[in-house]
Amino acid sequence: MIELNKIAPELSKIKKENPFRVPENYFEDFSARLHERLEVEKTGVPKYKNKVIQFLKPAIGLAAGFALIFTLSYWPFRIFTPNEQAKNITAVNSESEMLFASWVEAIDENSFYAMLDNQNGSVYFTDDDLADFVNTNSSEYDIYSETGD
Amino acid sequence: MDNSGLDLITGLKNEKTRELAFNSLVKKYQERLYWHIRKIVMDHDDADDVLQNTFIKVWRSVDKFREESSLYTWLYRIATNESLTFINSNKRRSLVPMNDTSEFLMNNLISDAHFEGDEIQKRLQEAILRLPEKQRIVFNLKYYEEMKYEDMSQVLDTSVGALKASFHHAAKKIEEYLKSRD
Repeated sequence: MIELNKIAPELSKIKKENPFRVPENYFEDFSARLHERLEVEKTGVPKYKNKVIQFLKPAIGLAAGFALIFTLSYWPFRIFTPNEQAKNITAVNSESEMLFASWVEAIDENSFYAMLDNQNGSVYFTDDDLADFVNTNSSEYDIYSETGD
Repeated sequence: MDNSGLDLITGLKNEKTRELAFNSLVKKYQERLYWHIRKIVMDHDDADDVLQNTFIKVWRSVDKFREESSLYTWLYRIATNESLTFINSNKRRSLVPMNDTSEFLMNNLISDAHFEGDEIQKRLQEAILRLPEKQRIVFNLKYYEEMKYEDMSQVLDTSVGALKASFHHAAKKIEEYLKSRD
């Protein structure tokens, strides 16, 4: 390191010594301590897994907290708002209407007339029922064309 | 590579003799690696942690060791990487914002109960800590450990020419700092 005298004369004047110290018996005890740690490493949970869990713990906690708050506040709010209740009722109404319509549409004309002819049958239609049926299944044009014959 | 190095490698590669060879390796290199790490992280307790991490990494990855490099440079390489990882993670964890690594290490030097150097030694350490990270490692390896540039090249994965230039710049900067404080 002869060149050091040329490029850094002040530095080369300083006595080259190690200014740091270690606690007494540090190097004598080191391999025993390392051995203990290695034993833990061999038997215990891998350190990187612990690290991942430790790293993600706050994020998981926050996410769980938000999910809980959302569930506790949004869900009851959603259930008890008037709009939602109205929606539910509408849904029920339209469901029953659909069922009725499908029932009426399922009856073909022959069956319908057969039911009318069957005076002793258990099915009884009032005038209003008949009017409803005609309104549902026939247009005004059909009615006029049928009555015009 | 010397014969003892080759014996250690043979012992480490064999599962039956691995533990014995590993103990020999620790005994042989613990002190050299400790001082290398200590000059990077400054604090004794931190150096102790990093040295343990280094040997644990060696234990885990001994199968991956390719004999293209010597055992000694491989160990130094792991120790250097572990030290830098430690410094970076400490900087991230620190609640006090640090402008650069030297500030964090300067705090370590000031609070180090195991620093026994005189005023001129303290000034020299301050000057070294002001160097950029890579220059600091190159300077320490050359100045204190007198490592050959060829070996350093394997440790730091840098060309010999670049290492020589790096040492030159480091020495110049230290000289300027020492002169400026006179």
